[in-house]
Formats: sequence, structure tokens, C-alpha cells
Amino acid sequence: MSQPVIIKSNRYGINLILDPNIPFQELLYHIAEKFMESEKFFKNARMAISFEGRELSQEEEYRIIEMISQRTSIHIACIIDNDEAREEYTRQRLDAYLAAESGNTGRFYKGTLRSGQVLECDTSVVIMGDVNPDAKIISAGNIVVLGALKGTAYAGVPENEGCFVVALDMNPAQIKIGNIIGRSEKSLFASIRERKKVAAEPQMAMVSNGHILIEPITKNTFNNI
Amino acid sequence: MSEVIVITSGKGGVGKTTTTANVGTGLAQLNKKVVLIDTDIGLRNLDVVMGLENRIVYNLVDVIEGNCRIKQALIKDRKYSNLALLPSAQTRDKSAVTPEQMKKLTDELREEFDYILLDCPAGIEQGFMNAIAGADRAIVVTTPEVSAIRDADRIIGLLEANEIKQTQLIVNRLRMDMVKRGDMMTVEDVCEMLAVNLIGVVPDDEQIVVSTNKGEPLVGSDALAGKAYANICKRITGEDVPFLDLNKKANVFSKLASLFK
Repeated sequence: MSQPVIIKSNRYGINLILDPNIPFQELLYHIAEKFMESEKFFKNARMAISFEGRELSQEEEYRIIEMISQRTSIHIACIIDNDEAREEYTRQRLDAYLAAESGNTGRFYKGTLRSGQVLECDTSVVIMGDVNPDAKIISAGNIVVLGALKGTAYAGVPENEGCFVVALDMNPAQIKIGNIIGRSEKSLFASIRERKKVAAEPQMAMVSNGHILIEPITKNTFNNI
Repeated sequence: MSEVIVITSGKGGVGKTTTTANVGTGLAQLNKKVVLIDTDIGLRNLDVVMGLENRIVYNLVDVIEGNCRIKQALIKDRKYSNLALLPSAQTRDKSAVTPEQMKKLTDELREEFDYILLDCPAGIEQGFMNAIAGADRAIVVTTPEVSAIRDADRIIGLLEANEIKQTQLIVNRLRMDMVKRGDMMTVEDVCEMLAVNLIGVVPDDEQIVVSTNKGEPLVGSDALAGKAYANICKRITGEDVPFLDLNKKANVFSKLASLFK
């Protein structure tokens, strides 16, 4: 092993790859050195840690964590075992957490999205304007259109089916929530022409029994979220 | 203050060139000094619609490449001495000029003309980028068809992205009889979808085909389309002109038609 300690970071935190052959004291020294080098990068970060390459006793793990906490501003939230099943479980839980979080944070976009324009967002998004045919919104969370939705909306990307799409004038070409797709049967001509006959009311699209369900917004609507 | 106006649409065949010819001629009728530039390199048409195709010696690419001076390439209109055409090159393609060169050219023309109208090619590629490069404002032409409207929407988005501040809309070839039957979108439908200011509605008029073939723009004539174009020109100069009542005219025609049935 060329380096006694290697830090690898992933989406969930950091992974320490440790040399199995050197004495623990020396290893601890190398870990400290490594972390202090990258102190700025990890500043005040809150992350999970996992170990690889060396069997550690509980006490050894504890000493490493203590050292990191003392010498740097990194907060170690938890230790992840390098056990595949457990890692998968952690990954799922974290994904669920991140997905839930994306439904709770959002950003605003002011303006009309026109044909050919795509808005991608890793949080929920509120559009203050119309989404015209052939324009597309892709959001990890919910989508609220304070205008007419005539284009395509993907909410809960990649697979959060608990998300919703709201529009003041709901006339989408296609809505996808998680993996469930619903598309309009109406032609573009019909959807533009019909606008006048039916007074627009705010509607909400969500997943119900494996289908996209679009309903007018009532008090009960929000109880289901 | 001279203005550079690009006439564009995204989709082909909706009436950009006809509009450029008629708006240009109409502005000349209002005693403005006007130059029309055909930016559709390789597929020129504006010269034919203006009836000037036999007078071309030099063209846009010659000017850009320095083979001639601007003045040598400008063709004076047959009727209006304050109207000129800078024709496009037929033997080259869009890559023969760059947006920077177009901007420089339009800026030079500002010194002599009140209005510089650019007839934009269909599409969103280099020809489009060339045409809008020097423009202060844009007129988007669409017909009340879903395909044309969607392309217009895309174009408006691109104009916004390229910081063209003022964009106005012409709804061309409207057929009131079809609108009444519910077979065609209304002007309101189009405007609501595109959300830009309307500067004119031109009814579908077979006189346009006649005038195009003759090479004589019909703006200012008694034809309904001619009146519509004349009004558009006044609105371009900032005058507030009410929109034509296309309904009334259609009624007169249909009544006449029903007399002969």
C-alpha cells in the first residue's frame, strides 16, 4: 500500500481506506495528518464514516472518531459498517431522507418556460409563470406552477412517488411522478382551444393506486399528502 | 433614432418574407428611410417578392467579404426611392457570415436608414443567430396552427435568451370562417399561449399570392391584408391604431357569397 490512509468521499459521507499492516498508533497519526490536510474542504461538515482495509476493534474506531472530532471541525454523525447488506440499507434510508428533504426545500423560478426549455431542480420548485407545450420541468421534489401547465412535468425524480404537481391551470402534455407516467389524450390544438370553455381551477396531480390522479384542490387534498 | 427589426418565426412558410416586404414597403409609404436585408443565404426570396430579382449585382456576402461597398449592393425599390433591398447570396450558405459581421453591417446602415428590417431564415441555427445579432427588436410571425405556434414559442424563448428586449407578434393568415366553426385557434388563444404583445393580425387573403407573384407588395391597397399591413406599419412607428374588425368583413363576404349560391 503506497499510502497508509486514503480518504474517499461519497454521497453519504467519507470512506477511510486503512493500511492493515502498520501499528495502530502510527495509523492514527497518519489519519490525523490526512484530515488536517483536508480540514478546509470538510469544514463543519456533518457526515457518516466507514472504514475499509483493516479490521478495527470498537475501541480503535472510537479513538479514530475522537481524534477527528478533536482535531477538526468535522462532525461524525455515524459509523457505517462495510457490510454490503447494511450499506444497502443505509443507502436506502439516506436516499429516502434526501428524497423527503427535497420535498421540504424548494426554489422559485420566475418566468414562462417556453418550448425547448428545461428546468432541472434537485429540490421542489415553484414556477411563477406558464409552462408551455414542449417545455419541461424536472424536480426531485414537488412542482407548483402558478400559471398554466401545458408542457411536461417530472416530479419526485428519480423515484419518489409521494410527490405532487400543482397547477392553477392543469393541462399537461405529460406528468411523471416517481416512475409513474400519465399523459394527456388531448391534442395540442384541443388543449389550447378548450381553455376557454372550462374555467381553470387549481388542480393537483399525485400517484394513486399506481396511476397519476388529477383532482381539483380541496381541503381534503392536503390531508393525503 | 434608427431601429433594427428582425422578422422571424422558427417555422418556415408562415409569411416572414411577405411580412418583411409589406412592412418595409408600408414604412416607406410613411416616408421612412427603410432598408430590407435578406439574411436567408442560399435560399433567397425577398428579392422576388419585391420584384427586384433581375437587378441583383452584388449581395450580402459580397458586402461582408468586402467585394463591394454597401451602397453598390443596395437595390433601390421600383416605386419608393426611400426603400432599398440588400439581397442575399444564392450560391453560398449560412456559414458565409458571422453574427459579429451582421451586427457591424446593421450598425453601419443605421447611419443612413430609419428602419433596417432583417428577413430571418426558418430554423434556429446560424442563420437565425446571424439575423438577430444586430436587432433591437423582433417581430415574430405565426399562423394560428399548433406547429407554427410551438415554433414561435421556441423562438420567443431564444430571443429572450439573446436579450432582444422587445418582441411583438403578428398572427398571419387568420381565417375567420374557420375560427367561427371552431376549426382554427382564435387570436386570443395564440396570444395567451405566447404571452407577447400583438402588433397585428393579417387575414388569409388570396391577393397576397397574386401580389407575391407580381413582385408588388399589397400594403396600403384596399385588400384586407393590405390594410392590416398598413396598420402594422403605423404601430411599428408608435402610433396607436385600433385592430381591424375582421369579423365584419368576413360577414360581408359570406353574405355576398350566399347571394350567389
